[in-house]
Amino acid sequence: MTDDLRLAMTRRHFFSRTAALGVGTAALASLLAEEGRAEGGLEGLPHFKPKAKRVIYLFQHGAPSQLDLFDYKPELAKRRGENLPDSVRRGQRLTGMTAYQASFPTAPSIFKFVQHGNSGMWMSELLPYTSKVADELCLIRSMHTEAINHDPAVTFFQTGFQLAGRPSIGAWISYGLGSENKDLPAFVVLVSQGVGGSQALADRCWGSGFLPTKHQGVKFRSGADPVLYLNDPPGYSSEARRRFLSDLAKLNEQRLEEVQDPEIATRIAQYEMAFRMQSSVPELTDLSTEPESTFELYGPDSRKPGTYAANCILARRLAERGVRFIQLFHRGWDQHGNLPKEIRGQCQQTDQATAALILDLKQRGLLEDTLVVWGGEFGRTVYSQGTLTETNYGRDHHPRCFCLWLAGGGVKGGLTYGATDDFSYNIVENPVDVHDLHATILHQLGIDHTKLTYKFQGRHFRLTDVGGKVIRPILA
Amino acid sequence: MYRRPALFLLTALLSPLAAAELQFNRDIRPILSDKCYHCHGTDAAAKKIPLRLDSEEAAKANLGGGRRALVPGDPEASELIRRITSTNKARKMPPAWSGLSLTEKEIAALRDWVAQGAKWQKHWAFLPPVRPDPPSVKSSNLVRNPIDNFVLARLEREGLSFSPEAPKETLLRRVTLDLTGLPPTLAELDAFLKDSSPDAYEKVVDRLLASPRYAERMAARWLDAARYADTNGYQFDGERQMWRWRDWVIESFHRNQPFNEFVIEQIAGDLLPNATLDQKIATGFNRNHRINTEDGIVPEEYAVEYVVDRVETMGSVFLGLTIGCARCHNHKYDPITQKEFYQLYAYFNNIPEFGRGMKYGNSPPVIPAPMREQQMEMVRIEAEMRKAEGFLKEREAAIARGQRKWERTLASADPRYWRPRDSFAWTAKAADGVVPDVAGRVGQAKEFDGKAYLDAGRDLSLDIDDRFTVSLWVKPRAGDGSLVSRMQDRDKGKGFGVHLRDSRVHVNLTSNWNDDAIRIETEQKLELDRWYHLTVTYDGSVAARGVQVYIDGKQAPVKVLLDSLYRPFRNAGRAFTEPLRIGAGWGPQLRFRGLIDDLRLWHRVLKADEIEAVALGVSINEIARKPLAARTAAESNAIRWHYLDTVSGPQLRGAWERILALADEKDQLERKFPTVMVMEENATPRRTFLLKRGVYDQPGEEVQRSVPAFLPPLPPGAENNRLGFAKWLVDPGNPLLARVTVNRFWQMYFGTGLVKTVEDFGLQGEWPSHPELLDWLATEFIRSGWNVKAMQKLIVTSATYRQSSKASQELLQRDPENRLLARGPRFRLPAEMVRDQALAVAGLLKHRFGGPSVKPYQPEGLWNELSMQDMEYVQSRGDDLYRRSLYTFWKRTIAPPLMVNFDAANRETCVVRESRTNTPLQALNLMNDVTFLEAGRMLGQRMMQEGGQTPESRLRHGFRLVTSRVPSSSELQVLRDSLNYHRDYFADEAKAAEYLSLGETKPDPALNKRELAAYAAVGSLLLNLDEAVTKE
Repeated sequence: MTDDLRLAMTRRHFFSRTAALGVGTAALASLLAEEGRAEGGLEGLPHFKPKAKRVIYLFQHGAPSQLDLFDYKPELAKRRGENLPDSVRRGQRLTGMTAYQASFPTAPSIFKFVQHGNSGMWMSELLPYTSKVADELCLIRSMHTEAINHDPAVTFFQTGFQLAGRPSIGAWISYGLGSENKDLPAFVVLVSQGVGGSQALADRCWGSGFLPTKHQGVKFRSGADPVLYLNDPPGYSSEARRRFLSDLAKLNEQRLEEVQDPEIATRIAQYEMAFRMQSSVPELTDLSTEPESTFELYGPDSRKPGTYAANCILARRLAERGVRFIQLFHRGWDQHGNLPKEIRGQCQQTDQATAALILDLKQRGLLEDTLVVWGGEFGRTVYSQGTLTETNYGRDHHPRCFCLWLAGGGVKGGLTYGATDDFSYNIVENPVDVHDLHATILHQLGIDHTKLTYKFQGRHFRLTDVGGKVIRPILA
Repeated sequence: MYRRPALFLLTALLSPLAAAELQFNRDIRPILSDKCYHCHGTDAAAKKIPLRLDSEEAAKANLGGGRRALVPGDPEASELIRRITSTNKARKMPPAWSGLSLTEKEIAALRDWVAQGAKWQKHWAFLPPVRPDPPSVKSSNLVRNPIDNFVLARLEREGLSFSPEAPKETLLRRVTLDLTGLPPTLAELDAFLKDSSPDAYEKVVDRLLASPRYAERMAARWLDAARYADTNGYQFDGERQMWRWRDWVIESFHRNQPFNEFVIEQIAGDLLPNATLDQKIATGFNRNHRINTEDGIVPEEYAVEYVVDRVETMGSVFLGLTIGCARCHNHKYDPITQKEFYQLYAYFNNIPEFGRGMKYGNSPPVIPAPMREQQMEMVRIEAEMRKAEGFLKEREAAIARGQRKWERTLASADPRYWRPRDSFAWTAKAADGVVPDVAGRVGQAKEFDGKAYLDAGRDLSLDIDDRFTVSLWVKPRAGDGSLVSRMQDRDKGKGFGVHLRDSRVHVNLTSNWNDDAIRIETEQKLELDRWYHLTVTYDGSVAARGVQVYIDGKQAPVKVLLDSLYRPFRNAGRAFTEPLRIGAGWGPQLRFRGLIDDLRLWHRVLKADEIEAVALGVSINEIARKPLAARTAAESNAIRWHYLDTVSGPQLRGAWERILALADEKDQLERKFPTVMVMEENATPRRTFLLKRGVYDQPGEEVQRSVPAFLPPLPPGAENNRLGFAKWLVDPGNPLLARVTVNRFWQMYFGTGLVKTVEDFGLQGEWPSHPELLDWLATEFIRSGWNVKAMQKLIVTSATYRQSSKASQELLQRDPENRLLARGPRFRLPAEMVRDQALAVAGLLKHRFGGPSVKPYQPEGLWNELSMQDMEYVQSRGDDLYRRSLYTFWKRTIAPPLMVNFDAANRETCVVRESRTNTPLQALNLMNDVTFLEAGRMLGQRMMQEGGQTPESRLRHGFRLVTSRVPSSSELQVLRDSLNYHRDYFADEAKAAEYLSLGETKPDPALNKRELAAYAAVGSLLLNLDEAVTKE
C-alpha cells in the first residue's frame, strides 16, 4: 500500500464500507477528488502564513553571463586584454576547457549599460524589456555555487545537491504543500530550446528523488500530446473514453467490495483525475483563446508552441489555475565562444516574454502571491575563453559569482542586493549561496526549510541539506 | 509532522504498550538514534560534545559533579530525563534549533526504560544471527514450514490467525508473477486446477524455478540495486555496453549459483586464481556507476565519485548500511568513522581508470567479452587454423624442396618484396605544388619539398575505434614534418597523424585540443638524410597502449605524452571529412621535407613478425641468393610467405589461403565482440587518503585498507585486497549479508521487508517486524549453502505466503501495511511486470535471452527535447518490440517513461527499496500508450480466435487470460455492456480502422473490423483493471 493511502486511512477512516461502497461511481469519484485535494501536503504546513502561493522558476540553462547582462563593471574597459591578475583569481580552479589556456585576457562587455527604474538598477542594452520592469525585480548580484560543470551545477540548483538522487525543489514543494488544483499536477515543467548548441537536461532536474514519485514534475510538451499519453487513441472519442471509465470503475468497485483493498478506490480516483486532465490540460495549453493583446505583450515568438515566450504564457495560465511549482527551462546559454552574437539571440528569445510575464501577472493581481525566479546554474568568467577581439569573445564557467533575480511573492522590488569586485570575479558584499536561495523560496511559501524533512537511509533529509539561511534583507 | 517514523506505528501495533518490559533495541535505541545521535552519536567527539549516547559506558558515565545522563532505576536523577522534560528553553533537549522533538509517548518510554533499569543491548543487526528454534503454535495444523511458526506465533499472541489459503487461481497467478514476472498461461492454469495431488503446488514452484523466466525476474531487481543502465549518465549520457554483465547475472540466477559465489565474483572475480572470462565479466557490477564525459570537468573530482559510488552501493546492497554518510564526517548514527569510510574506499580505489570517461562506449578498464556462440566460433577458427598449419607442417620437406626450386628462378626475375595482402590501394593528387617521383629505397619514392603534399582521398577511415597499420620508408631532410595523416590541416587540428617532431616519431590522435587526445613519441631520434622503415599500429582501443611504433622492424620504446582521448573524430553525428594526406596535416608549419617510399595502410594490426618482414630492405631475389643458414628469421619468413602466396601447388596453396582467410575471419570476429567494463588492479597500488569533508582535492592522512572495527575482521588467510574483502562479506561471521539478502527477497514477495528499511540495518533502520524469523531465514540461507532457489521455494511454499489477500475492515484498520502477515500480499506489480504481462496475455511477448538492449515504443522526440545532439531513439522493429522489459534500453537521464511512471528504480544510483505510487499518469499510460493499446487489440483478437463463438465465452476467455480467474456474472454483465457499447460505437468503420491501426502488428484480416475493434476496446479495458496490474 502506498504511504498516502495508509495515512488517509489512519487519519480519517476514510474507507469505511459505507464511504467506499454505499455511493455511486460519480459520487465516489467526486468524493475522492475532494479528498485528493485535501490530501495534498503535510499536516502542519505551511508552518507560517505564506507570502507566495506558487513559484514560477525561469531557469536559464547553460549559465547566462552576468557581465553582459546585470553586473556592470565600468572599470574593466581600461583593462581590456590585460591578463586577469592572480590576486583576483586566487587559485580558483578552472574547467578543463581553459585550464590549458596560456593567458586569461580580461574581456569587458561590449554592451552598453544604463540605469533603470526608480531604483536605478543597472542593466545592459540586451534587456530592453526586462529593464522596464526593473522596479519589480530584486536583483541578487552575489549568487555563488560550488559546481563548475553544467550537470552537477544544475543538479545542485534543482535538488540542493550536486549528485543525482535527491528530490527537486518542485517535488519538495509538492510533497510539503500539495496541489491547489484537483485537475492538474502540483509541479509542471516546460522546456524550450535556445539558439545554438544546448547542454543536456536530465529528468532528475524535476525528479522526486527518494520522495514518492507522484511528486515528480510533469513535463508538458509542445505539440499534440502535451502530457505523455494524454490523448485518446485515434478513432476513440472522449465520450467513448467516458464510457470506458465508467465500465472500468464498475469492475474496480466490484473488486473493491470483494477484497476491500483501499488501493482500488485510489485507483478509481486516479483514473477520474486522468480523465479530468484529458480536458483540463488541452484547455490549458490551447492558447487560441488568448486575446491578441497577450501575443503582443509576450512578443511574436509567443505564437509558436514550444518557444520560451509561449511557455511564459503557459506559466501564467498554470499560475492562474493554482499549480504550485512551474518550472521553465530555457536552454542555450552556454557561450564559450561567440558570446556577443549568441547572447543577443538568447535575449531576443527571452527578454520580452520574461518582462511580459511579470507585467501580466501584475495586472492580474497574481504577482503579489507568485514568486518568480530568473537565473542560471553559475556565472561566466571575466576573462575570454579563446581569442579576444574587438567584437568577439567567449566566457568559461564561473561559480564564484553571478546574478539571479526574484520578483513578486513578497520580495522587495527595485532592490539590488550584493556586490562583486571590479572584475565580477569575487563577491565583496552579501554572498548568497544556493541553499540560501532555496531557504528563501521555501520561506516565502510559508515553509521553514529546516522542518521540511524526509527520512531516508536513516537521515532526515532537507532541500537545503545542512545549510541555507533565509535572505531576510530582500523580503518585503 | 504527521509522517512519524513508521516504527512507532509498528510498535504501537505490535505491543499495545502495557507496562511490558521495554527492550533497548526495539523501543529505546530508535528514539535515541533518531532524536539524539545527530549530536550525541559517533560524531560527537569531532564536534567536541562531551556526552555520547551511542555507548552504554559513556551514557552512564559521570559527567562531572555527579551528574549522569542515565541513572538506572532513577529517572528523576537522570540528566537525560530532566533535560527532555525541562520547561526551560535553554536546557530543553532536543534543542529547538534542531527541528527535532520528542513525543509524549517517546518521553514516557525513555522514563519507563530508565525506571526499569536502563538495560543496554548491542545493536541487534551487528551481532551474528543466532538460529532460533521455531516457536510452537496452537494451530500447528496451519503450519507448512518453519516460517509459519514464527509468523503464526506472533499472530496468536495478537489474538489473530492466518487467513484461509488463497483460491488456486489466485495462488497460481501470484506465484507465477512472483517467480517469473509473468502471468500463468491458461494451459498452466487448467493443469494446476485439475491436479489434486498434495504436492501440486510444489510441482508448480519447481517448474517455475527451473524456467529461464525465473532468472530474468530475479535479475530485474538486481539490476536496480546495481544501477545498471545502457548509458553513462551525467551530462552527455552517451551509450555504453554493459549488457554482457546483465546477461551474466541472468545466467547466474538460472544456474542457481550460490549467493556467496555470486557476491565474490562480482566484487573480485578478476582476482580469483585463473579467473575465467565470466568471472571477469561479473566484476562489471562495480563499473555500472555513472561516468562523466563532460568536456570541462576536473577528472580527479569524478574519479573520487566513482569510488564513493562503489562503496555506497556495496554498503546498501551487501551490508544494508548507509556507509556513504561517513564520507564527509563520522557517521552520525552508526559506528563508522570517516577514516573507516576511506579504508573501505581503498579496496575499490586501485583500478586503472580515469575520471573523465569515453564519450561513446566503454571506459577503461574494458575487456572483450565474446558471447557464448562467438566463443565457440573462435574455438572453431583456431582449430581449423591448427589443422591447416598442421597440414603444411607435415609437408614441410616437400614445401622446402619446391621453394628451393622456385628460388633458383628468381635470379633472373625483377626485384620483388613480400607484403601482407589487402593493403589500402591509394591514389593521390598533389596539392600546393608538385611532388615528383624519384628513386626510392625499394621502388619509386615521392620527394616532398616542405610545401607540396599528396591528397589521397577520403576512402579510408582512420577513426579512434578503427584498427589499422601504417608502414613506409622515410628519408627525412628536416626534423619536423607530417608524414601521413587524416587530420585537419591546421595547428592543433583534429584527427590522426604520424609526424616527426624534433626528429622523433610522434603519433597523435586528437579529438579536441588539448587533452581529448592520445600522443606518444619515440625515445629514438631519426637521423636526417638516412632511410628508415617506420610502422605504426593502432588497435582501436582508445588508449595509448594500443599504439605501437616500429623502426626498421623493431618495436621502438615510446614515451606517452597524453592518454585521455574520449571522443571519436566523427563527432555529434557528423562524418569526419578530412582526406588522407601524405606529407601534410597540422598546417603549413608541419609540411614534410624528404622522401617517402612504399607507403602502405592496412585495416588491421600487423603482427610483429609480419612487420619485421615488411621492414626488410632486401628483396626476395637477394634473399634467394643467400644460403639458408645466412638468412635472418625475417628473411626466411618473407621468402617463405612470398613462395606460398604466389606459386605453390593447389593443395598447399589451398591450405595457405585457408590460413590467411581464417586469420582474417578471426580478426573480423574479434571486432564484433561486445566489450564490458570490468575491475582490474593497478600493479602499483594507488595510495588512498582520507578526504577532508569528502572533497577530492582536500587529502588528509593516508589510510590503509581495512574493514570497520565494529564488524568482524577479515577471515583468516584472506589477503587484504578486494578478494579478501569479498570473502569477508560472505563469511558466515558477517552479521549482515545473509540478513540483508533474505530481507530483500522477502520484500519481493510481501512488498515490505521484515526490516522495512531494506537499505538500512544500522541504528536508524527499522526494528524488524519478525526478528526471530529474520535470523532463522538468514541462518537457513547460510546453512543451505547460500542456495537462492531453495530460499525462494521456502518462502513461496509457506502457509504465510499462500494466504488469501482479502482483508476484513477490522484487519485493515488494525494492520493497514500487513506487517503482521495475517493475510497474503496484495500490491501493484513492478513496472516491468505491468508491461511484460500485457505483452504475454496479448500473445505478443517474444522470449530471447540477452544481447544488446532493445528500444520498444516510446513517444517520439523524448530524447531530442532534452539531450545533446547525436542521441536518436531509433525504435526497434519486429520481435525486439516485444522483448521483456528487462532488455529495454535504459538511458539514465531520460529513462523509459513507462518505467518511470510505474515507479521503477532510477538507475542513477543504487536503489533497493521497492516503491509504489498510484497516479493519474499511470492511468493515462495504461489507457493511451501504444504498448497497451496494441496489447489490448491482440488480446481482443485472441478472444475472438480462441474464445469460442459466444460473446460470453470470448469475454470470459479474455478476463481469464488477464486475471487467471473466471468473471462473476455481474462482472461479465459489465463486460457485455461494454462490448455492446463499443460495437455500436465502431459501427463507424473509419473509427474502427483508425483504432485498429496502432502498433506494428497487423490485425487478422479475416476478422470483422467492427467486431475486432469492440473486442480490442474491451481488451484495453481488461488491461486497465486494478486487478490486472495487481498481484492478489
